[in-house]
Amino acid sequence: MAATRYLIIGGGITGTTAADTIRKADPDGEITIISDEPYRLYSRIMISKTHFFLGKVPFEQIWLKKESWYPENNIRLIAGRTAAKLDATAKSVTLDDGTVLAYDKLLLALGICARRWGIPGADKRGVHYVRTVDDFRGIQEDMKGAKQAIVVGGGAIGFEMCEQFRLSGLETALSIREPHYWDPVLDETSGHIIEAALEKAGVKIYRGQYVKEATGGERLEGVTLEDGTRIPCQVAAVGIGGVCPHKWAADGGVKVSRGVVVNEYLETSVPDVWAAGDAAEYHDLIFDETVQFGSWSNAQQQGKLAGANMTGEKKPYKLVTFYAVSGLGINIAFVGNVAPVPGRQVVPRGSAEANAYGRVILKDNRVVGATLLNRTPEIGCLVKLIENKVDLSGRLKELGDPAVDLKSLL
Amino acid sequence: MAKIAKVEVKRDICIGATPCVVAAPAAMELDAENKAVYKLKDGVRSSGPVDRAQLEDPSVDDDTLLIAAQSCPVKAIFLYDETGKQVYPEA
Repeated sequence: MAATRYLIIGGGITGTTAADTIRKADPDGEITIISDEPYRLYSRIMISKTHFFLGKVPFEQIWLKKESWYPENNIRLIAGRTAAKLDATAKSVTLDDGTVLAYDKLLLALGICARRWGIPGADKRGVHYVRTVDDFRGIQEDMKGAKQAIVVGGGAIGFEMCEQFRLSGLETALSIREPHYWDPVLDETSGHIIEAALEKAGVKIYRGQYVKEATGGERLEGVTLEDGTRIPCQVAAVGIGGVCPHKWAADGGVKVSRGVVVNEYLETSVPDVWAAGDAAEYHDLIFDETVQFGSWSNAQQQGKLAGANMTGEKKPYKLVTFYAVSGLGINIAFVGNVAPVPGRQVVPRGSAEANAYGRVILKDNRVVGATLLNRTPEIGCLVKLIENKVDLSGRLKELGDPAVDLKSLL
Repeated sequence: MAKIAKVEVKRDICIGATPCVVAAPAAMELDAENKAVYKLKDGVRSSGPVDRAQLEDPSVDDDTLLIAAQSCPVKAIFLYDETGKQVYPEA
C-alpha cells in the first residue's frame, strides 16, 4: 500500500490551492491529488465565458497550472481516477482501479457534479452539461451544423449559455420550470430584468414547466414540454443544479447532508479529514448558520484555509464571499448568503426602470446577503455591513433609498 | 519571484467574477462597468498598468497581489517587475 502524508481528493481550484498552501508550509511532506478528470487544474469558470467560448483566446488559456508545476512542487497528480472507498480507521482511500493510498491527512475537495437530466432521451448525442473541459469540447463539436439550441435551467449556467449560443448564431430557446428566472433566489422584478435582456437578445423563453422528453434518433432533434409544445434543437445545454459526489465518503463514516458537513475549521466528523469548496457544508461564523457556497472565490479561499489547517494551524473560516456573472448588458452579483430562507427581511434598492436593482437581505435587521443587478460597485459596502453585523434597525428606509450612499450606513 | 513593480487588469479580458476582490479587498474593487480596478492614492481607481507604489494601502504585499492575480479565473491580471518583465501570468 502506497502512503502519502497529504491526500487530496479533487484537482480543482480547492484541492490545488490546498496543495499549494501545504507545500509552502511543509516543504517535504508527500502530497497526492486525485482528480476524476484526466487533466491538470483548469478554469472551469472560463468554459461559458464569451471570450473563451467563441475562441477569441487560445484554448490553452484554460490551463491554470503548467504540467511542470506538479513535479516542480513535488506534488503527485493522479488524474482520471476517482475515490471509491474510505477506510477512516485504517486511514486509507481506495481508488476505482483498486489502488489503496494511506494518508495522514485527507482533504475532500470533491466539488459538485452537474445534476443529471432525468428525462427520457437525456442520453442523446447533443445533450450536454456545462461543467468540464470535455463538456465544452462536446458542445463545440455538436454545435457544428446545428441551427437551434435549447438551454435548460434558470441559473448562472443557463444565463451564460443563452448568450453564448446566440453569439454563436444559433436560434435559442430557454426552458425554466420556475415562473421567472432564478426563482426563488431572485424575486420577480430581478427575474424579469434578466428575462427582458434574454428576450432582447433573441432568446425564446418557456416558463413554468418541465421538459418532458428529448426526442430524435441517436442525435437530439428536439424536446417536448409538458404541455406538448415541441421545440426543435440539435444541441442542449443543461444547467439544473449540482450534486455532491460524496457517497463513498459517507459510506466511510463521514457525516454528510447536501454536502460534506464541516465545522468552522473545515473539519469533518472524522478525525484528520477535512472538506472544502463547493462540497463543504459548513458552519458560518458570521451568519451563525450552516451554508454551502458554489463560487470560485469560496472554493479557493477554503482550499487555502484547509491546506493551512492540515499543516497544523487551527484557523476558522470567516469570510464574506461574493461572485458575479455578466452578460447581455447585465451584471448580476450575489453577496454573502442569498439563500431564500423563510423569515428574512428583503429591502429592495433601485428599480427595473432605472435598470439597476438590488435586494438587500437581512436577518434581525442585520444584512446577511444581497442580490445586485447592475449595482456591483455596492458590493464593498455590503460586505462591510455583513462583516460588521451593523444593526440597521430604524434605517431600513435609507437602505432602500438608492440615492443614499451605503457608506453612510457603516 | 521577482518583486512586483507594476500591476494591471486587462479590462477587455476581465469578466468581473470577483475572486481578486475577495483575495485582496484592500487593493482591488469592481467599478461601475463591473471591471476590477486597483485602489490608488487620493481615491483614484484604475485598472492600470500602474506603479504598485501608488496603491492606497501601503501594507498590501507582493504575496497578496500575486494571490489576487492567480485567483483570476480568466487570467486578466498581469504583474510586472522593475524591468517591465511580466512575472504573472508566467509566459
